Amino acid sequence: MIGQRADSRSRRLRLAILGAVAICLFVPLVARLWYLQIIKETAFIERVVDNTTETIIERAPRGRIIDVNGRILVNNRQSIVVTLDKEEMSTVKTSDLDQLFFDLAREISLSGKLTKVTQIEAAYESDRYGPFAEVPVVQDISKELQVYLAEFSYKWPGVGTTIITVRDYPYGSLAAHILGYVGSLSEGELSQVANAAKPYLANDEIGKAGIELFYENALRGTPGRKTVVVDRFNNILDTTEEVPARAGSDVQLTIDIDLQAMAEQYLKEGLDIARQQPTKFEEEGVIIYRAPAGAMVVMNPRNGTVLAMASFPTYDPGLFVSGIAQDEYDKLIDPGNNLPLLNRAIQGTYPPGSTFKPFTAYAALDTGLIGSRGILGVNSMYVDTGVYTIPTCEGGTCEFQNAGALPNGDVDLRLALTYSSDVYFYNLATHFDILPGFDLESPQVTARYFGFGVPSGVTLSNENAGRIPTPDTRREAYRQNPEAFLTDQWLTGDTLNTSIGQGDVLATPLQIVNAYAALVNGGTLYAPNIGLRSLNPITGETEVEFASRVTRELYLPAAYTQPILDGLAGVTTWRRPDNGQVGTAYSAFLNFPHEDWPVSGKTGTSEKQSIEELIADYGLFVAWGPNPDPEYIAVVVLEEAGFGGAVAAPVVRKYLEKIAYGIVPRHLSSEEEDEVARQQVQESERDLEAIFEIPLVTTGKKS
Amino acid sequence: MKEMSRSRRKSSLNPSGNPISPWLHIDLALILSVVVLAITGIFMVYSATRGTDPDLYDRSFLSRQLLNVVLGFCVMVFAALVPYRRLRDWVPILFWGSSFMLLLVLTPLGVERNGTRAWFEFGQFQLQPSEICKVAFIFALASYLEQFDGHLNQKQLIYALFLSAVPLGLILLETDVGSALVFIAITMGMLLVGGAQTRHIFLMTIAGITGVITIWSTGLLQEYQRDRLTSFIDPVSSQTEAAYQQTQAQIAIGSGGLRGQGFGQGQQTRGEFVPEQHTDFIFSVVGEEFGFVGAVVVLGLFAVVIWRCWRTAKKSSDLLGALICVGVLCMIMFQMFQSVGMTLGIMPITGIPIPFVSYGGSSALTTFIAIGLVLNVHMHRYEVVR
Repeated sequence: MIGQRADSRSRRLRLAILGAVAICLFVPLVARLWYLQIIKETAFIERVVDNTTETIIERAPRGRIIDVNGRILVNNRQSIVVTLDKEEMSTVKTSDLDQLFFDLAREISLSGKLTKVTQIEAAYESDRYGPFAEVPVVQDISKELQVYLAEFSYKWPGVGTTIITVRDYPYGSLAAHILGYVGSLSEGELSQVANAAKPYLANDEIGKAGIELFYENALRGTPGRKTVVVDRFNNILDTTEEVPARAGSDVQLTIDIDLQAMAEQYLKEGLDIARQQPTKFEEEGVIIYRAPAGAMVVMNPRNGTVLAMASFPTYDPGLFVSGIAQDEYDKLIDPGNNLPLLNRAIQGTYPPGSTFKPFTAYAALDTGLIGSRGILGVNSMYVDTGVYTIPTCEGGTCEFQNAGALPNGDVDLRLALTYSSDVYFYNLATHFDILPGFDLESPQVTARYFGFGVPSGVTLSNENAGRIPTPDTRREAYRQNPEAFLTDQWLTGDTLNTSIGQGDVLATPLQIVNAYAALVNGGTLYAPNIGLRSLNPITGETEVEFASRVTRELYLPAAYTQPILDGLAGVTTWRRPDNGQVGTAYSAFLNFPHEDWPVSGKTGTSEKQSIEELIADYGLFVAWGPNPDPEYIAVVVLEEAGFGGAVAAPVVRKYLEKIAYGIVPRHLSSEEEDEVARQQVQESERDLEAIFEIPLVTTGKKS
Repeated sequence: MKEMSRSRRKSSLNPSGNPISPWLHIDLALILSVVVLAITGIFMVYSATRGTDPDLYDRSFLSRQLLNVVLGFCVMVFAALVPYRRLRDWVPILFWGSSFMLLLVLTPLGVERNGTRAWFEFGQFQLQPSEICKVAFIFALASYLEQFDGHLNQKQLIYALFLSAVPLGLILLETDVGSALVFIAITMGMLLVGGAQTRHIFLMTIAGITGVITIWSTGLLQEYQRDRLTSFIDPVSSQTEAAYQQTQAQIAIGSGGLRGQGFGQGQQTRGEFVPEQHTDFIFSVVGEEFGFVGAVVVLGLFAVVIWRCWRTAKKSSDLLGALICVGVLCMIMFQMFQSVGMTLGIMPITGIPIPFVSYGGSSALTTFIAIGLVLNVHMHRYEVVR
């Protein structure tokens, strides 16, 4: 009995222990539940949202760029891209990876797209992509290779293909400087566009230059956004929000692709011809006509729109489509290659030389230096002996000459412009400087009035402002670089040089042509437009019309313009009957249809200063027609090419002649060229069949 | 033996006791809490398997679980009705029979899943012999220990350990670590109440710890099993499936908050982010959809079940009944703690279902039979068996 009781007491004790253990086990469970559900609830709810919602961004195509007649200059096309899955590749051994890259490069090269191993490696190791990204390594592979890679995917771990939309250039490198190019967003750009209305992702493409850059906001598509609920396997369960992608707007330019093609062609030919001039041996040294570069701009002076804008040398924007290789890019920014990326029409600055004279003439007329209170009347003759000596010379150069010290004889303002008499303008400049009541900066004031020294406001980025020197800027320049100048003083000689667009005067070709446009259109200085309107990419309806922008209306009474324009009309047409003295571009415009299409112009030949060597002169020429209400105005600048009248004027003459006769050739896109070539092959085959009377089996026949 | 028969006579002749009809001693609280748990389980299985598209909903899980519960309930009633003392005669057959099935499942007749060979497959239905074996084992160990009236000497203890080593060894051969742990918990609990000496318990504990360390360090376990067991310590750094499973389960539970997302509203559950959310990890569904309140209610129901088992063990007129109740208590207690604990991230992952709630036929059957035995002990505690 006692044992029994002890037993049951022991059993009760042991049961109590068991019960206590059981109770103890509940404590951590409830505590943990409290921790997870009460304390950490919010954090876990966020994790659920993270888990179950996904935002899918759909890239939208960029808008196209089309010319004034609606011909497509920049289009989109599909490109098959080889991608490497970083997540999957990370499991592959390094040695195997090297072999894989080697095999891949060989395979892609065999398919016709030459690819280096280093190229694949560089793309793969680029830090632009996260550890799980599919990195695009090679673009534009063939359809066959895509099929092959998919079929033998087990041989190519992590290698995939995808299709992306890229820029396509139906006209190749034509208008490259205007159109610009796109590239992947850089870190700096990404922070700039952080709050853009059309959001950007890392690796999105963005306009880097030209129209692509300037009209980025219009051209860029609005990416689509889809917020979806997904399950563990990323199957989409619901769509909670959907904003469809919208293609970017098309941008129509004021450029006419035929005029553009002709400008580029004649600019290049002009440089080729200039290069053939024999090397000149002078006392000071050897002058070689290297003619490495140049620019041409054609505008409509009536509304300030740009019709063509050429810069030589040029580049192929297609190079940027696949992400340009570093060595290729280095070539494009190498001064030894004359900086092909530089748009010389708006970024190149040149001493305008004699093309500057009409503005000095305007200054003389406006200040009364030519007039009743001045030194000369408009029609007063001044004897140009070819040499001018500053009467009150205090130092520096005192004797100035015409080119070659050639005398022009008796010249009034008109003839001074027609013959481009430097001496006549030296005389004016000297009196601005020394005559009481006149301001030596009058030519500079006028130049700025006509838009020199400040960006023209053209609708392209990175425009150069040029330079109009004054005594103040001289002092500043001297302070910064005392080596380059004799003194910080502005001498009379500086005024002389400025008056004929030499010395420190610098202008872009666009500034020159735009100033002349204001002179010949009755006095409206425009900020040049190169974009015409933006269009809805689907309906083609106009979204935004880019209206003409007037910088200022100039005071331009007939009393000023008449003598100047008369003189400039003489440049192309004047021949003095008695001694055969002619305007500076007379011979270039010989046999031009002057009656039907009156044309005026101004030559310029400017010296580029260089300490190391003699450099051939820069040849410039501006011309416009048909007078009296010109519709076309063109400027050509040829670097290191010689006399403007000899090398630049013929380029413009050929150009305007095509317009005057209405025979501007139609420029074909590469597709159209292919079509023409195909037709020619077919025709010749037909001819052969006719001759031999047997059908020829060729691919051309089959199609 | 003499004393025992006397005690039996004494309790049955107790004049203060009520008439001995078992029908007067049905433990309604136990039945009710088990049924509520099972119904909760059915709802949770529905939530966990309803999938993403209502039109494509696969009802087979729901209907099978319903069948499991109904069948389980019937078996429970059956197990409760035949006085447990009479069932004792069947114990050797049941125990050795189910042990033989454990052996059989290791042959190609068994089916391997998740690295564990623990199932027979009959068409759509699976049978997990280790589940069935649990009840047989409880009964067998209880019958054996009963003979010694709460005093085990070394020899008797070793024989008892041999008894448990048979199914335990076979289950370890299946590499079903979870079930093996359940057997250990049952054995420990029953030996404690069955009369193992304190120093023996102490020694066994030492031996157990040594054994675990040995198994761990000798590489008997596969890599994935080690991962499963350790990933709960630092789930973030661990990239394994197990760590993912546990992290997702905690996200689901945590997002439930105080009141839960509501029945059928759990996004985490809907997206099937927690693997095995209808079986071993079903508590994550409870936590997400019913929140802290619901989870505590479920734990409370388990507390009631355990309390009733404990109470029956205490009230049992003999050691056999008490030991049966203790075995069932330990089984349910351990499975519940381990399974809920791993879902909450405080225990390692071992594939153990939550009794009554998780989807699964064998598990439901076993736990209902076990509860049936406890009810049996409760009902027949005044009955004299000759």
